[in-house]
Amino acid sequence: MIKFLKLYEKIGIFILIILASIFLAIVSPNFRNLDTILGIIMQGSYGAIIGFGMTFAITSGGFDMSVEAVMGLVSVIIAMLIPVMGFTYAIIFAILASCFVGLVNGFLITKVGISPFITTLSMQVILRGASLLITGGRQIVIAQKSFMDVGASKAFNIIPMPIIYMVILFIIFYFLLNQTAFGRHVAAVGSNEPAAKMSGLNVGVVKTLVYVLVAFSAGVVGIIRTSQALIGIPTMAPGFTLNVLTITILGGTSLAGGKGNLIGTLFAGIFISMIYYGLNLLNVQIFYQMLAVGIVLLFALFIDGLRIRYLEASKVKGIRI
Amino acid sequence: MDEFKVELTGKQRAGSFLGNYGLFAILVIIFAFFSLTIPEVYFTWSNVLEMVRFASFVGIGAVGMTFCIMTGNFDISVGSMLGLAGVLGASISNIAGGSIGMLVTVAVTTFLGFFNGIFVTKLKIPAFITTLGMLFIYRSLAYIYTNNVNQYVQGNIWIKIGNGSFLGLPIPIYIMVICYIIGYLLLRKSPVGRYIVAVGTNSRAAALSGINVDNIKILAFTLVGIFVGIAAIINSSMLGVANPGMMGEGWEFQVITAVVLGGTALSGGNGSLGGSFLAALILVFLKTGMSNAQVNSYWQQVATGLVLIFAVSLNKLKFWLIGQTQ
Repeated sequence: MIKFLKLYEKIGIFILIILASIFLAIVSPNFRNLDTILGIIMQGSYGAIIGFGMTFAITSGGFDMSVEAVMGLVSVIIAMLIPVMGFTYAIIFAILASCFVGLVNGFLITKVGISPFITTLSMQVILRGASLLITGGRQIVIAQKSFMDVGASKAFNIIPMPIIYMVILFIIFYFLLNQTAFGRHVAAVGSNEPAAKMSGLNVGVVKTLVYVLVAFSAGVVGIIRTSQALIGIPTMAPGFTLNVLTITILGGTSLAGGKGNLIGTLFAGIFISMIYYGLNLLNVQIFYQMLAVGIVLLFALFIDGLRIRYLEASKVKGIRI
Repeated sequence: MDEFKVELTGKQRAGSFLGNYGLFAILVIIFAFFSLTIPEVYFTWSNVLEMVRFASFVGIGAVGMTFCIMTGNFDISVGSMLGLAGVLGASISNIAGGSIGMLVTVAVTTFLGFFNGIFVTKLKIPAFITTLGMLFIYRSLAYIYTNNVNQYVQGNIWIKIGNGSFLGLPIPIYIMVICYIIGYLLLRKSPVGRYIVAVGTNSRAAALSGINVDNIKILAFTLVGIFVGIAAIINSSMLGVANPGMMGEGWEFQVITAVVLGGTALSGGNGSLGGSFLAALILVFLKTGMSNAQVNSYWQQVATGLVLIFAVSLNKLKFWLIGQTQ
């Protein structure tokens, strides 16, 4: 069983993607051209980008429920600021605002000591309310058409920009997690927080930075989506947090903490997007997508549960893995 | 017995005062504030009755949730559970009448609660993420079952439960009081309650002393289901209709806020049903007051989030003052 789980951890998500590709290639002739495939990857990039941040959060033993509300807040801020200061500064300001939300999350979690789940869940409700309050419940149309190039243009006329952003962020996050002291600190905090504290780590700072990273990644996606729609939407992406969590856990990042798998997150994002594409082919109602993501989450949890259980059992028996 | 008397420091006294009377003080302050600012709509007997009637909706859900949080878990799927059971029960009432419809509602939530419990305990996955998945699954099932069409409640009995009165008091108030009495007996006067406290305080010690921890947790989740079912009956009855998307949306947030504000520690073991009851009243008194004072509804949303953070911080402060670490 352990061997199976170890194998699944390495190649499970790829097998799922290959199976899904074969299935889609058979049922849909459209799937066999490059544009469709790039389109699917682009749709998957939103969940994957926030998933990179979420991978850090779950690796540190935490959690972030506020990502979807951060997207809405960023969308509103950028739509209001573009007429005032042009879109370059508006983007910088929106990113800073999202990082600030992460800072507040981090403060409440590490200094006040509220559990990550409750903190970020409250933050989700607060930010949604605040975004609606800023715009008075309306959506804001962005007049500056050139802002659309940020998220809706294509590099070399082939590759949609979100994919480029995803790759860049993947490289940065991968480097951060696997090649820097910070990444090792995050894993240390996640696998054994008291031990990390005793060995002199500043746990509070590490955790706060993690929440800033999550909020930052949510901010990036918020900007991309706003630029594609050219509208500031305070209620952007309701329920998207579920997608992000599903992607992260399906990708092999364990809820037990201490173990992040960014490559898995990247491909799990694409896999979820393939499911959406497949469901669209079947022409079913949008509720079925919600059901599908929920079931995939339960499947991912099931695998993770098995993994935690068997790893614990093997530790007790003294087996080295 | 004098030698057992413990001398409390000033800090500890403040903490225990906060724990015992803090909620009551908040309730009185909120009521006094709105009564003074908008007396003509707020400070009337009918408004008070109406507020308590509405509080029963959150209050009854909070009974089950108190048990669940005391075991150290929590169930965030209750809002969707309420919606799914609501539409199922209402649609059955069209075929088989009101009483069968109500039975189906409670049966469905009881089963879903039990199912949540099985899933959480047997998989050893944190409850919040499992029940988060369930939140979306139940909601999408409610949509799929109804095809996003409202289900109207049939049957005089069912309509009367939420809207009728008995001896001058609305019936939901009686139901809420009965639920709290049953909850109190279960928690403080039965072995089940002691097991729940034991599991929540230290599940390992509880397991070593022969308690079947998994079964107690499953029982707690099932209790959540039962009380959600009762709340669903009242909610469908008050509105006369069950909407697959709207019914119970965001309700989980109110229920969890009520329980936490009531002083139940999220880490488990420590809890109070009386606190949950007062907290449910506080939430409704505050919400009605803000609506009556015509506060922007988005501000109200911000306020609900702030109240939960405030509630948890208050708990932390209380335990810090008493000197007990959670």
